[in-house]
Amino acid sequence: MYDLIIIGGGPGGVAAGVYAARKKMKTALITDTFGGQSLVSSSIENWIGTKTISGFDLAKALEEHLRAQSGIDIVDGDLVSAVAKRDDGTFLVTTKSGKTLETKYLLLTSGSRRKRLGVPGEDRFDGKGVVFCTTCDAPLFGGKTVAVVGGGNSALEGVEDLLQYASKIYLFVRSEVLRGDPVTQEKVKSHPNVEIVWNSVIEEIKGETFVNGITYKNVKSGESKGLALDGVFVEIGLIPNSDFVKDLVALDDFGKVVVDHKTQQTSCPGIWAAGDVSDVLYDQNNISVGDAVKATLNVYDKIKKG
Amino acid sequence: MAKVTIYSTPTCVYCKMAKEFFKKNNVAYEEHDVASDMKAREDMVNKSHQLGVPVIDIDNNIVIGFDQKTIESLLGLGKAVAPAA
Repeated sequence: MYDLIIIGGGPGGVAAGVYAARKKMKTALITDTFGGQSLVSSSIENWIGTKTISGFDLAKALEEHLRAQSGIDIVDGDLVSAVAKRDDGTFLVTTKSGKTLETKYLLLTSGSRRKRLGVPGEDRFDGKGVVFCTTCDAPLFGGKTVAVVGGGNSALEGVEDLLQYASKIYLFVRSEVLRGDPVTQEKVKSHPNVEIVWNSVIEEIKGETFVNGITYKNVKSGESKGLALDGVFVEIGLIPNSDFVKDLVALDDFGKVVVDHKTQQTSCPGIWAAGDVSDVLYDQNNISVGDAVKATLNVYDKIKKG
Repeated sequence: MAKVTIYSTPTCVYCKMAKEFFKKNNVAYEEHDVASDMKAREDMVNKSHQLGVPVIDIDNNIVIGFDQKTIESLLGLGKAVAPAA
């Protein structure tokens, strides 16, 4: 029986792991990979204490810091699939690979994942023209016609990544405005290879072995059109990884776990949450670290008081 | 020793993670940069029907993405299991 199980290996989870180990709490941390969503960033310029660091190097630094602690069990390359609360108030955590772990307390630092379009063809052509990691796969679309879906920073940066490869980029925006940095907006709007398709959503992704086209709808006129293209880059934001606790804790309208921002406690006694999975106002690495430390110290207080 | 080939792009962090994993486990691998090597890109697409990296070929078993568990089992790497609580 663990004192604490931390779910997630981003900056928040690792910070909690370090503090929990130093407080000599019997702790396990379960994560698929380290580094959180910043893993795929080519450079992070606001990680305090470091002028610039790649997401990959940040992930390595976090993992090394955690592995330097004694007395914490690290279960990596795995994901939590279910959490059950037992009659005595303790929790049973089950992982995708079939491991089960018992704990008195739980800290959710499971972050967010990419939102999908939810249209026909998206699953079938995943990796066959439908792309969820633009930085990874943009170089494979040299000379091709592609669509980027989304109106925020990640979509704009996706367009920027693609500019050096694709010959034509359609940016599909659901509304009439772009969000995201004004500087990037200007660059994207003024580039001759970019065409912004306003007020439009993708209805279907088509193809044979690989994507060869889409149909899209203008949400104002209701009119649908077809377009031949080779790739669809989905950059429509994030959803919190809270599915496995949705029956245990209160979630807000966006699926984020509601917490008391003084202690990070959730609505379920024994479960804390921090970082992007919680209803924190700003999704930031530095904030996730602070909130996760706050949560861990609060768990420790609880253990001391008994 | 298994024959391991990874198809990657220079900007793909999951490719880097896979390579680090191979190094950590002393697995020799061959790498093809499919951003610049068109012949390798064609091979990758023919083998995997994928237009996304990484694609990893372990003795003709194709793994899509950095799927650590599948790679471990194909390479016969036993992983230490966390002690039961």
